[in-house]
Amino acid sequence: MKMRKMLSVLLIGILVIGIISGCSNSEEKPATTDEPNKETGDNKDVKIGLVVSTLNNPFFVTMKEAAEEKAKELGYEIIVLDSQDDPGKEISNVEDLITKKVSVILINPTDSDAVANAVTAANDADIPVITLDRVANGGEVATHIASDNVAGGEMAGKFIIEQLEGKGKVVEIEGIPGASAAIDRGEGFNKAIKETDIEVVAKQPADFNRTKGLEVMENILQSHAEIDAIFAHNDEMALGALEAVKGAGKNIVVVGFDATDDAVKSVENGEMAATVAQQPEKIGALGVEAAEKVVKGEKVEEFIPVDLKLITE
Amino acid sequence: MNREFFKKYKSIIGLILFSIIISIFNKDFLTVNNILNILRQTSINSIIAAGMTFVVLTGGIDLSVGSILAFSGAVCISMVSAGFSVFLAVIVALIIGSIIGILNGIFISKGKLQPFIATLATMTIVRGATLVFTDGRPITSGGSKGAQAFRNIGAGYFLKIPIPIYIMVIVFLLSYYLLKHMKFGRYVYSLGGNEEATKLSGINVDKVKIFVYGISGFLAALAGIVMTSRLSSAQPNAGVGYELDAIASVVLGGTSLTGGVGSVLGTIVGALIIGIINNALNLMNVSSYYQTMVKGIVILLAVLLDRKND
Amino acid sequence: MDDIILEMNGITKKFPGVKALDNVNFHLYKGNVMALIGENGAGKSTLMKILSGVYPKDKGKIILHEKEVNFDTPKEAQDAGIAIIHQELNLVPYLSIGENIFLGREPSKKFGKVDWNKLYIESEEYLNKLGMKLNSRKLVKDLSIAEQQMVEIAKALSIDAKIIIMDEPTDSLTDKETENLFRVINELRESGKSIVYISHRLQEVFQICDSITVLRDGQFIGEELVEDITEDEIIEMMVGRKLDEQFPRIDSKLGDTVLEVKNLSNEYISNISFNLLKGEILGISGLMGSGRTELAKTIYGTIESSSGDIYIYGKKADIKSEKDAIEQGITYVSEDRKGEGLVLNLPVLENMTISSLKCFVNNFGHINKELEKKIAEEYINKLSIKTPSINQLIKNLSGGNQQKVSIAKSLMSEPKILILDEPTRGVDVGAKKEIYDLINEFKSHGMSIIMISSDIPEILGISDRVLVMHEGEISGEISIEEASQEKIMKYAVGIKEME
Repeated sequence: MKMRKMLSVLLIGILVIGIISGCSNSEEKPATTDEPNKETGDNKDVKIGLVVSTLNNPFFVTMKEAAEEKAKELGYEIIVLDSQDDPGKEISNVEDLITKKVSVILINPTDSDAVANAVTAANDADIPVITLDRVANGGEVATHIASDNVAGGEMAGKFIIEQLEGKGKVVEIEGIPGASAAIDRGEGFNKAIKETDIEVVAKQPADFNRTKGLEVMENILQSHAEIDAIFAHNDEMALGALEAVKGAGKNIVVVGFDATDDAVKSVENGEMAATVAQQPEKIGALGVEAAEKVVKGEKVEEFIPVDLKLITE
Repeated sequence: MNREFFKKYKSIIGLILFSIIISIFNKDFLTVNNILNILRQTSINSIIAAGMTFVVLTGGIDLSVGSILAFSGAVCISMVSAGFSVFLAVIVALIIGSIIGILNGIFISKGKLQPFIATLATMTIVRGATLVFTDGRPITSGGSKGAQAFRNIGAGYFLKIPIPIYIMVIVFLLSYYLLKHMKFGRYVYSLGGNEEATKLSGINVDKVKIFVYGISGFLAALAGIVMTSRLSSAQPNAGVGYELDAIASVVLGGTSLTGGVGSVLGTIVGALIIGIINNALNLMNVSSYYQTMVKGIVILLAVLLDRKND
Repeated sequence: MDDIILEMNGITKKFPGVKALDNVNFHLYKGNVMALIGENGAGKSTLMKILSGVYPKDKGKIILHEKEVNFDTPKEAQDAGIAIIHQELNLVPYLSIGENIFLGREPSKKFGKVDWNKLYIESEEYLNKLGMKLNSRKLVKDLSIAEQQMVEIAKALSIDAKIIIMDEPTDSLTDKETENLFRVINELRESGKSIVYISHRLQEVFQICDSITVLRDGQFIGEELVEDITEDEIIEMMVGRKLDEQFPRIDSKLGDTVLEVKNLSNEYISNISFNLLKGEILGISGLMGSGRTELAKTIYGTIESSSGDIYIYGKKADIKSEKDAIEQGITYVSEDRKGEGLVLNLPVLENMTISSLKCFVNNFGHINKELEKKIAEEYINKLSIKTPSINQLIKNLSGGNQQKVSIAKSLMSEPKILILDEPTRGVDVGAKKEIYDLINEFKSHGMSIIMISSDIPEILGISDRVLVMHEGEISGEISIEEASQEKIMKYAVGIKEME
């Protein structure tokens, strides 16, 4: 009886360890086998922590992959943790990285306010923090790397003005309320259309989420028959909205943001009109490069903007 | 050593073995800092799970805890940022959580609703109320005069130990005392074991149920306060899915979902196991995609083996 | 006697702390009804559970049809032709009769499609053999207990069982239903089936059984032919000593009226009026479903009354819940120990004190565990409850001891009025006597007792006065001097005018 119990506990342990070592090996292997052997050997002791808001979004997956690539190239170990869009999980992830004694933490915050305490915790442990894509409204940050979202929003606005020849009805689908990307993109967009005859007839958040984008747009279409263009704060929502537009059999100019693979394909197929290309791979790579500088004590700019470009058919 | 001993302490023995195995693989795991780290990370789930234990012991379930956490957290921080005293804000948040819990209890006992349905409904209603209250946007304590004091609840230290750990320990000691040494606890077990017999023994079972859901709501609100304070920010969608972690902790701790059997000590062990899984996998740099899977597998195996050995 | 078909030799079974069976022998013959009797805890159920594959045995041999066998699961026993009909029937309420009979063995056509026609037709054939005219598509939940029992027997026939074990089959049956069951048992015997008949009712043993095996305290006491033995001898074998008078009535001086019920009515009972004196045992008799239990539960506050009043010591009592009743000095011991009386997964101690915890707590609700334990142990001694420890789970106790714990629970709230609903159901002869002695003792201390019972000799044996109920009304009140079995039966079936 008790043997069986002990055995069962052990079994669980072994199984878990099996899974853990199985998958962590597969991730670490490339880093150890083809080590590029850059200038100094102490690169091995430098660990970079990367906390990503969610890996349920291709944009952040691209960013993460680029960061991993870059770290491999420079010969650093990188630990990637997923906050699953839960700020509670985010702070736990940062605490775990502190325990793990990483040299620098790259955070892509779930929420600009909620991340502040996590940044402070890292500050208290004397670990420098770099924010990616979204800012932190609190704590000390070595540098912030993000697209110039205001400029991107403006870019999208100007494109819509062009398409509608300066006159029409537009829907703005917003990102997670309070997220800096949502605020900046909205700001840029509204700045662009301010002096024109383009009117924003509906404005609703869909949390950067494709399903929500679809639902929100479906609802809007119920109450607004005539819509000429849609600006969504990211491609996921734009693609969701596009489905709603297709479902209603309408012809509406849809502009997204981020230029994810799906969105670019959609633009190529002539479904979405345009998307503002952020370059997540650049954010990820620049993040790791900045991390290297911070670790080495070199100076970094307070804000490192990443270019945007408009992708049209 | 005898069988009873193993039976009684099997979850703790499992926890210790589990920890030893992990520490062999990872040197950062068994350090004082990391243990405090795990305890702090576990505190929110385990405070909710303590309340859930009461509910599950009566044979019920409370799905609304995640929503209560979000709502009371939002109310609390908005009061702090509006300049009310932190003490008052905390009291109001706790009262709100308790009232929602008590309403759950009333729907279930007087309204004869199934606990699953009743709390599913309040879960949705309260989540909606949170969105209305926060306008869908996060609320922060900002630069108000109480902001720092409020932050201490979740992020502060006392004697080098994080304050949420004290809160968690107090919650568990009180819960244990309530269940093992108080009249009320006896009624909880009895109600879960046989409601009809308990009723015929002259016990107001409706009152016991209302109280039990009230406790669950109260503790969910407490967890909400700790969480909000830890982040200095209330998220409208905070706590989504937290009820499932709490239920998993209760079940891992050996409490039967049919009621009448189990203990709050088991629950803390269950909560720690879940906390350790998250922490250890992070330390070992396991991809988050695998983490979720491992958590599910451990819960499944632990409960299966527990059933088999009974 | 004829051919032996089953031999169980030297069966031993230990449970933690108890030797449930010690070297027990049991024989069964073809076309024979064997009574298996003994007090609760004597080991009858354990022995039959070993035979039907529920428990593994520790030692001993089972020889079936001259071959040694060993059943690891109930399925194996079933396949060997052994069917058991439990006291608590094992049917699925929301399935039809036919589906229950063939559960797990549904006749099928091609591709696993169930052959429903065959299933229902065959089910009805089996039921017809038992003299039952039932539509086999009817749901089991709509059947009476007796009908459900017939479905169980039909199920046994459908697997072509050679051995059918019946555990207390007449416990919930009316006399007429019992008669019908006996007719069926006789037919089964004639068709060559062997039957193990477990019962507490010795009259039934004489009526229906051919031979008898007696167990006591897990040991084999003897096997006899029924025609060679008397009732007294059987009781002696069961309890190991001669029984004195079964019903030692004590006459005591009756005091003032303690409880007065006036025109109490609701959907189950109508216009009930009676009174109860201090130190009196009032027996309430009647058929099942005559409203006896409902009357008790109305007085106890479980069922709401629509009109009528209750007076305690001449003062009108407002009883809206069980809690109110207990505070007014009334307690009720349910007929359904497992369903309504006890919390099976809790220890003896916690079951005993649940109604009276307020006596052991301080103002903050903290339980004084030492005091609680001390008082509980006093009651365990007083009621001679047999349990290894007060921390033993109640489900591990025998029926008689469970019943005593139920009574102890009620006594601990120090009632003035004790309502006992079928206090000796499922309790064996020896323990019955102990319960009667207890009731008499309460009476001599001035407690007033209402005892509901289907067992007429019991009612006649210890009541001071008898009320008989019929269809929710009191159909007769008889003083004990005038009471007789016939009189009670007449009132019970609703014949009011006796002159």
